[in-house]
Amino acid sequence: MVSQLQAQDGVEGIGYPNSSGDLSSEMEVDAFRRLFPLRFFERHLSESIRPDGRPLGRARDTTLALGAVASANGSALVKIGLTTMLAAIKMEVMTPLKESPDEGCIAVEFHMPPICSPLVRPGRPAEVAPVVSKQFSGMIDLKDLSLVSGKAAWMAYLDIYCLDADGSLFDAALLSAVAAFSHLQIPVVSMNDEGRVIVVSEENDGGGDAVNKEKRKLRLCRTPISLTCILHKNYILADPTAEEESIMETLVTVVLDSSDQLVSLYKPGGPALAHTSSVQDCIALTRQRVKEVQTIFDETISGMEVD
Amino acid sequence: MAGKAGATPTTYTPSPKTQRKKPPIFKNDDVDWVRPDGRGFHQCRPAFFRTGAVNAAAGSAYAEFGNTKVIVSVFGPRESKKAMMYSDIGRLNCNVSYTTFATPIRGQGSDNKEFSSMLHKALEGAIMLETFPKTTVDVFALVLESGGSDLPVVISCASVALADAGIMMYDLVASVSVSCLGKNIVIDPVLEEESYQDGSLMITCMPSRYEVTQLTITGEWSTPKINEGMQLCLDACSKLANIMRSCLKEAASASDE
Repeated sequence: MVSQLQAQDGVEGIGYPNSSGDLSSEMEVDAFRRLFPLRFFERHLSESIRPDGRPLGRARDTTLALGAVASANGSALVKIGLTTMLAAIKMEVMTPLKESPDEGCIAVEFHMPPICSPLVRPGRPAEVAPVVSKQFSGMIDLKDLSLVSGKAAWMAYLDIYCLDADGSLFDAALLSAVAAFSHLQIPVVSMNDEGRVIVVSEENDGGGDAVNKEKRKLRLCRTPISLTCILHKNYILADPTAEEESIMETLVTVVLDSSDQLVSLYKPGGPALAHTSSVQDCIALTRQRVKEVQTIFDETISGMEVD
Repeated sequence: MAGKAGATPTTYTPSPKTQRKKPPIFKNDDVDWVRPDGRGFHQCRPAFFRTGAVNAAAGSAYAEFGNTKVIVSVFGPRESKKAMMYSDIGRLNCNVSYTTFATPIRGQGSDNKEFSSMLHKALEGAIMLETFPKTTVDVFALVLESGGSDLPVVISCASVALADAGIMMYDLVASVSVSCLGKNIVIDPVLEEESYQDGSLMITCMPSRYEVTQLTITGEWSTPKINEGMQLCLDACSKLANIMRSCLKEAASASDE
């Protein structure tokens, strides 16, 4: 594969040294990749393979670890290829709003700390961060977060940190959020004499009856799983890396739930326009991905129960 | 007023104790007292380092000391910001931040604003800045979980990350802190001990050169106590540096194969 790259047919491109054919045949593959990234990729795509050895429609290896953060009520660490996300949920008690006395609240924040990418500098938040934050909603029935109607409800703070940014950030963020919710253990609480909610622990039992003996877990109404694809000419590349995202800019993100229903579809512009058929192809790829992710989920959870 | 209160609900973390009791862990003459994690007074937590935690960075390291977990990424040497003046020697830029869930109460980590400049001062003396003139090396740290002795862990982890990035240093920088609790000195304190401490002492040093890059003492200390604390820290630093060095050697031999 690599040696074929040097036998380029340099027709287009002004100033491209291959017109004489000498320089490029001697050019290092790595230099070629940096100087002519698009040609480098297109050359691979025409052979139906990607520089990292994946077929076009395959996502990178995905791993899940639940309970990575001891100081949170629920947490998960997700790796998709090199992209790493850490999601954690902290539960706090709030007085519910007057308009919705038996509903709790969820606050989602997506962070890109400066450690995750050379493009992020401290004090200057990354551009994608608010975009990703905005796409989370409707995942949980807020009524499940109620404790005492009109008096107390849970406020769930979901914070997702990108620890290593290598493309498909939304997919990894969503997966880590879903995994963190599945790991969430709601603390048992009770109301004390002053009407404040306190945690019931073994040694401290004097605060009256527990308010939420049964509701220790949150049920997700649906498990959304997403796949981001790049559209480039008539190729569709699933789960792009950061390098691929920077070269080919048209992205389509499809979110499906576990029963294959479409939750959202997001195509934020880009130079290529999507045909109906290519959108359908993206959805088909996502459907495959949902199955893959569910097996990973099941394996992780059964692995946890053994321990 | 009722309308306004609805916009941003005030929340609180339900804690097991409604009123915080004074330390049950320590009485003035009580030498038989046991540390929360069962360690001896002069025993450090097991230290774990791993390089290459963040692929997007030039060099990085993850460190875990008990519940204290940090990631440090190093970027550069790269172009300095445009507004900066010409400089014969390289610049070092440090930033320490906390995740919102790092501390028992959400968002408390942002209290530690001075950590960035302290990290900078601790590392500055160890790095050969003249090897990268006109450029900047960025050292960014993220505390994933705060379990006590955060800054010493960040500093040690940063020096491993710098070595991983191939930045020239005179020596690895190791850092250890001790807390003074009444008559006792405890090394490598956890969060609970730090909150009850009467004083703290932190040493950052280059053990092979026997040079101290940073020494901070806060709170109540007597001179003999300071001496004892410093000896403890220096000894622990040189042992810690061995662990850091063996982590780097392992990573280097693994990449050779």
